[in-house]
Amino acid sequence: MAHSETERTRSGGRGPATEYAVAIAAVLVTTALGLALRPYLNTIDVAMLFLLAVVVVASRTRLGPALMTSLLSIAAFDVAFVPPYFTFHVHDADYILTFAVMLAVATLMSRLTARIRRQAEAAERRATAAATVSTLNQDLAGTDTRADLIAVAERHIGKAAGGRARIHVAEPFGQDGRDDAWLPDAAVADASARVAAMWSFQHGRLAGAGTDHCAEAEVLAVPLRSAARVVGVALVMPEGDDAALPECDLELLATLGDHVAIALERALLMAQHETARVEVEGERLRTALLSSLSHDLRTPLASIEGAASSLLQDGASLPGEVRQELTEAILEESRRMTRLVANLLDMVRVEAGTMAVRKQWQPLEESLGVALMRLEARLRHHPVDVDLPPDLPLVPIDELLIEQVFINLLENAAKYCPEGTAVTVTASRQTDGVIVTVADRGPGVPESEQARVFEKFHRAATAGADDERHGGGAGLGLTICRGIIAAHGGRIWVEPVAGGGAAFRFVLPLQGPPLAPMPAESFSSEAG
Amino acid sequence: MASANPVVLIIEDEPQMRRFLRATLRAHDYQVVEATTAREGLTQAAGRNPELVLLDLGLPDAEGLDVARALRRNSRTPIIVLSARGRESDKVAALDEGADDYLTKPFGAQELLARIRVALRHAALPPDAAPQPVFEAGDLRVDQVRRQVFRGSQEVHLTPTEYRLLAALIRHAGRVITHRQLLHEVWGPGHVDQTHYLRVYMAQLRQKLESDSARPRLLTTEPGVGYRLREDAPAGEV
Repeated sequence: MAHSETERTRSGGRGPATEYAVAIAAVLVTTALGLALRPYLNTIDVAMLFLLAVVVVASRTRLGPALMTSLLSIAAFDVAFVPPYFTFHVHDADYILTFAVMLAVATLMSRLTARIRRQAEAAERRATAAATVSTLNQDLAGTDTRADLIAVAERHIGKAAGGRARIHVAEPFGQDGRDDAWLPDAAVADASARVAAMWSFQHGRLAGAGTDHCAEAEVLAVPLRSAARVVGVALVMPEGDDAALPECDLELLATLGDHVAIALERALLMAQHETARVEVEGERLRTALLSSLSHDLRTPLASIEGAASSLLQDGASLPGEVRQELTEAILEESRRMTRLVANLLDMVRVEAGTMAVRKQWQPLEESLGVALMRLEARLRHHPVDVDLPPDLPLVPIDELLIEQVFINLLENAAKYCPEGTAVTVTASRQTDGVIVTVADRGPGVPESEQARVFEKFHRAATAGADDERHGGGAGLGLTICRGIIAAHGGRIWVEPVAGGGAAFRFVLPLQGPPLAPMPAESFSSEAG
Repeated sequence: MASANPVVLIIEDEPQMRRFLRATLRAHDYQVVEATTAREGLTQAAGRNPELVLLDLGLPDAEGLDVARALRRNSRTPIIVLSARGRESDKVAALDEGADDYLTKPFGAQELLARIRVALRHAALPPDAAPQPVFEAGDLRVDQVRRQVFRGSQEVHLTPTEYRLLAALIRHAGRVITHRQLLHEVWGPGHVDQTHYLRVYMAQLRQKLESDSARPRLLTTEPGVGYRLREDAPAGEV
């Protein structure tokens, strides 16, 4: 802690003028009392009265008023009570000693008082400082982001210094190698403020207005010191345009700066830790993807290669139905790979956030219709009931992407539901958009899985052999759906269906480019 | 009418894709000319006078769109563009530039041959040919002289806009027609960006002409590109 900066403290208690007035009043009152009681008192008793006055005053004021009290008391005593009266002459040597004692008592008492008061003030200041530091730490603990942390720190330091604080953090590695690169010129236009900030940063001590260094600056620079280094500087500027900073507790500011520095360091470490954690998690996902992919890609490739080589080698001698079967296998497996690759490419776009959403106002029926036509073969064992109300509004969507959502949801239903069970597609207008439901009568999604089904590479435990037969999808279908719906500003979730089954529902908001009104029908050329 | 063994020019840089196209076309009695770059393709188009061009939109040396435009500048030879899914804007640009149809890779031999047949048939018609008096597809029958529309034996009443839309689709029957082209033909050049007009009227038309408007068999959607009136639509129950 920088002790050289502690002298300048706000003075507490009464002002000096009041104290001198009290001193004079005390002497006047004592003199009046002495005169009134003179018939009943010895001269030495009167001296005791004056001594009492000196003690009382000295115990409550600084040295100056205390000394004045004793000098005035000596004078009043000498003039009014020591013969010859009303002169400063003293005949008796005894009184000289009395005067000396009075002076000595006044000095001792006021010294003692001053020390006690200083200790009391210091204790009070320490208590205030501790309370301020503790409030700062509480508020810092409540912050989530570095920006919040800096805002809280600026508020506290500004309040403690009676000005407006701006924190400048020196990044761990200066970008262009210059020492002062972290302190942008734009942030500190004033040259003297800049010098104060740099000095404070380099020396780890306060600088600027009210300190020993760069005192000519209008601002006060508080270093933010952690155990190992100076993390940055808080610059405190006066509130008004030409106001100066009020006097303040520099030691407290230094302490606040240290606490802020520790909080900043901790935030940095947490961020580094989080980055490392995300990297590990990403690595784990990549490994899962690779093993899942290598299986999903190799299986169809093996079938294709096997079937094609057999056709090439023994084509002529194979019975017709075997040739037909091999050829169909090649076709089906190629289509399976096409779907898988398409899913992977979509996933990459969702992940990279580069999915271009080209919204156009259109009926949902069209995208759904395309999905149903494309899936005709795979949905042959699952009748799909479509019930879209005729007054359903146009929805601003990217038709290719929403078609993909329908394809993935319907494919999922076909994959997980027993043959012969129906799938229903319904939609309705809600306050916040159009809500679409794709519901099946399959095994449903357990509550514990309802959030996880949208995660990457998630595959329901029930998929099993069915999943194999239908060509899997690397567990990406629902993740892609979520990405697409999110890109449309909507959300997707799954609910249980009463009586068994899963209902995948999504909301598409109705905000989009404005629609030009449709021209009215002209019946000039009557048709039909 | 096209000759007995029409010449098809393949402009495609992928050797395996060329191999598949060559084998399929030869098996169906087409003569095949191949080019691996846009430059070579344009030279072949000028020299061999093909009756149809299959143009890959992912050529290494030029934008597919520019090749389509250059081909169209010199002839009315039908162009079918080949491209991957996800490149819809390229297809639309090529179609609006004069290409006749498109195929999204991967596609099957049947689809390829059907597209080629339709394109050659349209090319054989004179450019200003009057519409055929009666158009039939599935259970749809349109009397273009009297402007009457029937589903099976039942007459269907269409609004003037609905009829103009249907007539535009019939003119391109079997081929894709982009949103822009349809808007231009039905609503005029000032409305080519108002795709919602088209979608609303298309939904109405399907309500009247399809047995299940959520699963259209006749008026199919080409996602991100436009619509197609299928001539091979199965006749449904009325």
